[in-house]
Amino acid sequence: MVKLKIEKNDLHAKLKELKKDGYSYLVKITAVDYVKYLTVIYIIRDLKKNAEQELEVDIDASDSSISTVMDIYRAADWYEREMQEMFGIEVKGRRAGRLLLEKWNGKAAPLKKNFEWGADYET
Amino acid sequence: MVTRINVGPIHPSTHGVLRLVVDVDGDTIQSVEPHVGFLHRGVEKLVENRMYMQSPTYMEKLDYIAPLAYDEAYVAAVEAAQGAEVKERAQYIRVILLELQRVASHLLWLGTLANDIGNFFTLFMWCFRDRDLVLRLLEDVSGSRMFYVNMRIGGLKSDIPAGFEEKTLEVVSYLEKRIPEYEKFLEKNPVFLERMKKVGVLKRDAAIELGVTGPVLRGSGIGWDTRKDKPYYVYDKLHFSPQIRDEGDCFARYKVRMLEIKESLRMVRYAVKLLPGGDAIGLPIKLIMPAAKNRISKVSRETPRGEALMYLVADPQRPYRLAIRAPAFINLFALSELCKGERFADMFAILGSLDVVMADVDR
Repeated sequence: MVKLKIEKNDLHAKLKELKKDGYSYLVKITAVDYVKYLTVIYIIRDLKKNAEQELEVDIDASDSSISTVMDIYRAADWYEREMQEMFGIEVKGRRAGRLLLEKWNGKAAPLKKNFEWGADYET
Repeated sequence: MVTRINVGPIHPSTHGVLRLVVDVDGDTIQSVEPHVGFLHRGVEKLVENRMYMQSPTYMEKLDYIAPLAYDEAYVAAVEAAQGAEVKERAQYIRVILLELQRVASHLLWLGTLANDIGNFFTLFMWCFRDRDLVLRLLEDVSGSRMFYVNMRIGGLKSDIPAGFEEKTLEVVSYLEKRIPEYEKFLEKNPVFLERMKKVGVLKRDAAIELGVTGPVLRGSGIGWDTRKDKPYYVYDKLHFSPQIRDEGDCFARYKVRMLEIKESLRMVRYAVKLLPGGDAIGLPIKLIMPAAKNRISKVSRETPRGEALMYLVADPQRPYRLAIRAPAFINLFALSELCKGERFADMFAILGSLDVVMADVDR
């Protein structure tokens, strides 16, 4: 398994290149909140060669946005929607749509560390 | 003219609370939009606020049809973060329990699938009777019929009781006779064949593109199986081979699961024969081995529904973040693609063939 730390702006080109190399199966997109910054993780796999790559993109907590990769991996759709709701990360280039899992209309990002337990987030 | 039909959230064929908004033209489906999230409990957040070994019970409720599979996947992720070794006897017992769990899960799926497509209750009753035999075996080990919480760091809560091996072999022999009967029952039934063959076809490339996993992926001719390609425990000693079908239709997915039951039974029989002696008990729950801060462990496990991935960022006392890749989540995502151009009634056959558990989708 290879782990790569890349810049936000290089993500698209890198993923495109890796997909051409055979990494055509998307395993998971998720994020981790390290308070000062967020890390978005893309796990992709080459099913033929049985090889796996992990791409990590650090994004600033104050400007948490990242561009969509749906044009490269169709499977990214629901993962991105989930990440958007759970971390309040704005995924650029997506059509605004219905919420997938949450019913908080983007007012709360439950998986962020600053989420308040018991706070009254309007439904 | 396009008509919009609403199915669910409560519907006997959606196996949980799933709402489907279906656009049909006559009887042909134009688009399906699954509305999920009714069962969202925020397990990933709950886990962050509990000690490591307080969480397996949440994990089991993620997939209540195969609780042991998730229990084991989570504990394995914690073990990887803490650098704990699993005892050899415990490895064998884990494999035996996991494969028995797979058989139980697939039997429940088979019964409900038959229900969905018109073989009302005959097969359902048979499958539930047989599943109960397997559940009784698991109960003998852990003391609980459904939610076992039998995994501990480095081993198990309780070793198998005396006489378990003989009982298991008895059940395996019984099931090995029953499964071909069920296959005969279904595959000689023209209604079943008509509704399964060439319905909901997922081609090889589309399967990769949509990221489907488990029996759905293998039904489309791709032989990826975590037990083979990222082997864990003693699977490589049991001569495991993944079950593949090329057609990619509902029948292929059905057939893959039936073959998997047989393969699992064979592996259980073999693992019982190879079972070494020694100790299999893991660390007590209250004894905590602190994990290194921000150590990341990533564990893939083949649950009955497909590959579950646990991405764990560790803190010394409790998980800092646990991301779960739920197999049912991504398989359900493929539903709208599979249903396009099919008949409305076939939607339930397709949904049944995906084997989704809504608790797993919503987490």
